[in-house]
Amino acid sequence: MGIVIAVISGKGGVGKTTATANLGLGIALNGEKCVVVDFDIGQRNLDMILGLENRVVYDMVQVMDGEASLPQALIKSKVNESLSFLAASQTKDKSVLNSEKVKKLLEELREKFDYVILDAPAGIESGYEHTIEFADAAIIVVNPEVSSIRDADRAIGILDSKSQKVKDGEEVNKYLVINRIIPQMVQNGEMLNSADILEILNIKLLGKVPEDKGVIDASNQGKPIILDEKSLAGQAYKRIATRICGNSVPMPDIEAAPKGFMKKLTGMFK
Amino acid sequence: MKGKQYSVKVYDTSVEDEEKFISFFEANFPLFKDHLIVIHGELSDKVRDYLTRKPLTFVQDVDIPKARSQKEVEMDLETQKSAQIEHQKRIEEQFAKLSSRLENNLRVIDNMIRSGQELNIEGDLLLLGRVNSGATINISGNLIVTHVIEGLVKGYGNFMMVSNSPKATILFHDREVDSSALVSKLNKIEIIDDEIVITQVLKGE
Repeated sequence: MGIVIAVISGKGGVGKTTATANLGLGIALNGEKCVVVDFDIGQRNLDMILGLENRVVYDMVQVMDGEASLPQALIKSKVNESLSFLAASQTKDKSVLNSEKVKKLLEELREKFDYVILDAPAGIESGYEHTIEFADAAIIVVNPEVSSIRDADRAIGILDSKSQKVKDGEEVNKYLVINRIIPQMVQNGEMLNSADILEILNIKLLGKVPEDKGVIDASNQGKPIILDEKSLAGQAYKRIATRICGNSVPMPDIEAAPKGFMKKLTGMFK
Repeated sequence: MKGKQYSVKVYDTSVEDEEKFISFFEANFPLFKDHLIVIHGELSDKVRDYLTRKPLTFVQDVDIPKARSQKEVEMDLETQKSAQIEHQKRIEEQFAKLSSRLENNLRVIDNMIRSGQELNIEGDLLLLGRVNSGATINISGNLIVTHVIEGLVKGYGNFMMVSNSPKATILFHDREVDSSALVSKLNKIEIIDDEIVITQVLKGE
């Protein structure tokens, strides 16, 4: 039995889909069988970031409605055998989802995979509620800015009240990923630091990802940044994926200003 | 000292025309023989002689305490009584308030209140978690929050006790509390003489 992890954020544009793609691939790189499912029905783009957009034949809604079987709809990643992908429908909207169908689909996926990663839609409407309803854990992606934190806080509040696990008297584990950190801005006090964010949201920290211009290019090319060994964001995602797989990895302080030789040199003349 | 207390009937008058005055008392002597006659103003020897001879008890230019009419007395009693009842009521009310506050099952919540969550509490509350930006608490009684408040709190009790929360929006009896003054470890908010008063209970940040 695999575990179902919902990747949520509340606010849009914080890097939820990018995180889902990279973490899914990262888990697969750790040798675990992983499937990423795009729950953003009507606005799918996880397929593009994974570089699988031409391969989508059947989508999740067709599987739920019995128009296609699950093996037909699952797409294997070109990069790693262990990673599969289930696309969202681009033609329907989120009203087609209902609890029974989602539950059945997730049960099937749980049997086939070790990790089921759900990419939640932005916002807190029914599409979001269906994503978190049967999740065992949630990864909350935030940017170090107040609007993202508040929306995430709201999303966690809904998670704590609508999740099936909570209704059964258990707790949904919640982990925080802080995305797009610009160390220099944190140093200057222009960006919230992770201690403040953790204080507000009061959940466990899973990892910090620095801002990286390479992410956009990587998404455009359909090659997740985690494949780029040199990228700081890619390294951060790799560490987070390893943590998800249950291995402890030290957490480098990426908020500290990077100090290279040249930096030190110029710093001397300031 | 010994003394006796009794009521007398007083006829309060003045002499305008001596002839008329004497003839009036002559005619009504049986009526006035037990009265005390109080005369204001001039009193001629003739009249004085007449009154002494008759005899009629009289005094001149004396202020006699005026008895109030029955109606006035009743009204006075009434207002006194209602004031007493009012007072009693107020005391009882205050007492009821206090006792209900004390007994009104103090609730203790050991969770944080997240954005979008709304707590509606009848009675008192001890909150041990944060109140995040975008969260709302409505409370009819007293409130003590030991963690930071960044959301909205509306309280209607006797007091509120909040920690260092300069970002909070706090309404106490529908009046906005200047949260920039909530800077010490624990601050008490109450209304004294119709003004919101913030006192530092625990100093330090």
